[in-house]
Amino acid sequence: MSQIQPLTVDVLEQEALPAELPPLTAPAPKGRLRRAPLPQWVRLLLSNPKSRGGLIVLGAMIVVAVFAPLIATHDPNAFSLIDSRQSPSWNHLFGTTDQGADIFSQVVLGARTSLILGASAALLSTVLATTFGILGAYAGGWIDDVVNFVTNVFLVIPTIPLLVVVSGYLKTRGSLTMILIIGLTLAALEARILRGQALSLRNRDFVQAAKVAGESTPRIIFGEIMPNMVSRIAAGFVLVFYVAILTAAGLEFLGLGDMQHTSWGVTLYWAQVNSTVLQGEWWPFLFPGLALATTVAALVFILAGLDEVSNPRLRVERTHRRAWRSLLLGKGRT
Amino acid sequence: MSAVATRTLLELDDVSVEYALRDRVVRAVDGVSLSLAPGETLGIAGESGSGKSTLANAILQILKPPAQLAGGRVLFEGRDLAAMKPDELRRFRWRHVSLVFQSAMDVLNPVMRVGDQFVDMLKAHEKVKKADALQRAGDLFELVGIDRNRVRAYPHQLSGGMRQRVVIAMALALRPELIVLDEPTTALDVVVQREILQELQQLKDELGFAVIFITHDLSLLVEFSERIAIMYAGEVIELASGETLFRDPRHPYTVGLMRSFPPLTGPLERIAGIPGSPPDMAAPPSGCRFNPRCPHCDPTDARLYARQTDERPRLREIAPGHLVACHLVEERP
Amino acid sequence: MRWFLRRLLFYVFALWVAVSLNFLLPRLMPGDPVGGVLAHLSPAQIQSNPGIVQTYRDLLGGGKGSLGSEYVKYLGHVATFDFGISTSNYPSKVTEVIGRTLPYSIALVGVAFLLAFVLGIAIGMVAAWRRGGIVDNFVVPAMMSLGAFPAFFTSLVAVYFLGLKAGWFPIQHAYDSAVTPGFNWTFISSAVRHAELPVLIIMFVYAGGWVLNMRTVMINTIAEDYVAMAHAKGLSDTRVMTRYAGRNAILPPLNGFAAQFATAVGGLVFIEFVFSYPGAGLTLQQAALGADYPLTQALLLVFAVTVIVANFIMDIANFVLDPRVRTG
Repeated sequence: MSQIQPLTVDVLEQEALPAELPPLTAPAPKGRLRRAPLPQWVRLLLSNPKSRGGLIVLGAMIVVAVFAPLIATHDPNAFSLIDSRQSPSWNHLFGTTDQGADIFSQVVLGARTSLILGASAALLSTVLATTFGILGAYAGGWIDDVVNFVTNVFLVIPTIPLLVVVSGYLKTRGSLTMILIIGLTLAALEARILRGQALSLRNRDFVQAAKVAGESTPRIIFGEIMPNMVSRIAAGFVLVFYVAILTAAGLEFLGLGDMQHTSWGVTLYWAQVNSTVLQGEWWPFLFPGLALATTVAALVFILAGLDEVSNPRLRVERTHRRAWRSLLLGKGRT
Repeated sequence: MSAVATRTLLELDDVSVEYALRDRVVRAVDGVSLSLAPGETLGIAGESGSGKSTLANAILQILKPPAQLAGGRVLFEGRDLAAMKPDELRRFRWRHVSLVFQSAMDVLNPVMRVGDQFVDMLKAHEKVKKADALQRAGDLFELVGIDRNRVRAYPHQLSGGMRQRVVIAMALALRPELIVLDEPTTALDVVVQREILQELQQLKDELGFAVIFITHDLSLLVEFSERIAIMYAGEVIELASGETLFRDPRHPYTVGLMRSFPPLTGPLERIAGIPGSPPDMAAPPSGCRFNPRCPHCDPTDARLYARQTDERPRLREIAPGHLVACHLVEERP
Repeated sequence: MRWFLRRLLFYVFALWVAVSLNFLLPRLMPGDPVGGVLAHLSPAQIQSNPGIVQTYRDLLGGGKGSLGSEYVKYLGHVATFDFGISTSNYPSKVTEVIGRTLPYSIALVGVAFLLAFVLGIAIGMVAAWRRGGIVDNFVVPAMMSLGAFPAFFTSLVAVYFLGLKAGWFPIQHAYDSAVTPGFNWTFISSAVRHAELPVLIIMFVYAGGWVLNMRTVMINTIAEDYVAMAHAKGLSDTRVMTRYAGRNAILPPLNGFAAQFATAVGGLVFIEFVFSYPGAGLTLQQAALGADYPLTQALLLVFAVTVIVANFIMDIANFVLDPRVRTG
């Protein structure tokens, strides 16, 4: 579940440390937005094997989610006792549930719910975290105090039990509500990371120069600080996306999510509640579980790639590997 | 003085050390040959990056990858250290050669009492009870001028000078035949520096160990060593007694070094220094490695210039006990 | 001493944060939590427990007093450990339910998490010491990928393959249903047997984080001069690795102990749910599903206090292990 959360947070926080990030902090675009074909860090990301692999898998999952209704072979909520508890076959690729619903269709359609839920919560969290994290770090004062306080709350109160309790208080747990509570909870976590990174930027020359030149606070934040944090905000988004997908699926697995829609977590919940494992049925938990694990792994790989791209020490190993490859395959494009 | 050695304690025979980096190999020490008699003090001087500390690590065989001994032999009382088995080597270290590190501030384990760091070392070499080991540590503390009760202190509770003394006490503990001092006093202020070195000199006279004294501070070397080797870009370029070097430096680099510190006696001259910077060791200049900075490397003398830029000068004796590696000295003695 | 006072102040603050959050949460939620709770009790049950409605109002809101006076009443209940009756465990009191279930969770997560720490630190240390060796190249990536999987998925897979198919482990509950809990060998051995698989899973899931953390720190520590000095002193390799490099490298990961522990406590909910393990995590999930708000409120507080205690233990460990904190 959220167990590797601090691990990746660490990775991101370390990323904030090195003062010089040559490829990432391209000179801040002064004034109007200039249209570049692709930011350099995006190209770097695509050239990194880890993040490229992650992006491909995630992309495939998104394609499945988009065309889910076309790919699904059955009604995911079908109720048919004749078809119930069938192991995988040509008709039911991933087998069927206790109720006789087709698990393949549930997994395919579940991709849609899980990805949308995760992405929306992550988006909400990132917007909040970026605004308050950077604003707090730059402006200080009560905003920073509040950000700090909320951060401290989450140092003491474990996220999952908190979300379980909050979901328990809610009578109806629709998608929107879940996005809201997950997004809000994770925003605190993300704000802490972004705040730290913004703090390290605040005292840089170019920010100080803008300050002396009398630029307004919003202008400095959006014109000077934000452009230099794009890659970090992107990393924060991926991290929160990954935690949000896990959290949403986890809450659904506990029966405390949006149980009305077909999703990976809901399929897993019914597998658990109906004790399918104990009856020797592996398909009701394995396929949705694998779909979840694959998506999560893809996001972790993207994160690892982002980290490698921004961490000079890891990049040395990369050139080393490339040297090997060029030795084996002859001179290629590097 | 005692330069006439009856037997040799340590012999470096054509020692080379390389750093095998991912995409290139850097030769930090290149074919250094030196020998040391028992009880002698040999100074090694050079700029940072000239390979002197690497050489010190090579003597104790504690080179850390990517550094590795690339050639030559380190002979201690005739035994080749590189041929020793790991455990044999482990017992050899500190028992016969100890090392006072460059950064004495950081060589003590911050989470261990300094006394326990003594005990650790003594127990690695002898069968001793902890109480006895601590007793001996206390004795050594007194020998180097620290209150014996400080064995219970943690490194952060000691001042820089005291830590340095602790490290020296540790280096003396097993009565080794040779102590290597690798810039032992760089982090200390000048007064403490001299104080500690004078104490060391006294201890040396009492205990009779040999010393290899590595530093970039020539004035200290001239004062404390019998012979001095000047290193440049991984090579020894001049070797002579301190007195000879002070009065009659021959290699242009040594001349520059000698000029770059104010004389201890006599009128203050203008400090000249050496223009330019040490070479990139991944791609050292061909021929004499000093040629890009050498004031005597002049294309007008085409023949000499060709030698200077193509041929590696060899260390040769120009007077008894005075060795120089320089084409210029060779051709215009 | 000043250091200790400052830490103490942090704990008091953290405790206040946890207590106050628990006061605010039900009051911020839409709907009527007290009504939701009472709906799970029959009129007769309410009748036979005079004052229970008032207790719920004090705890969850819906009373007529101002927020300030409600806060005072709420603090009174918290201070006397009076959280009323757990509707999903009628007629047990909330405190009784917690007293019954918490020991299982503490034993489970305590043992597993300590093992994870020890295992992770050891693997991270060796991986860094022999960089590019077998441990570094094979064990580390394996541990990392185990850690990246959702814990409940790992649990389900383990229950199916190791428990059901291979039959190596019991897969349900905390002890054999034929055994009565008590301080005797049959019960303890049965409890240990049932805890094996969950402990193994928690261990392998969380060790990955420690491995990565320790490895990174250790790589930096090995470059320290006191490690080179230890080699030069003629100490054995193992001694240099453990007493000099490892002993110093362990301090930074130790500082992340409490934060990791908080997430492990969260992950416990899933693992207990998969194993139907009657600990505080499963109880929390059941209570949340059954609108047993007095119980969820008290449990959230318990989880927070557990994390605070873990912080405290970590501080003490730091105090013992780092002389610079102790005497600096």
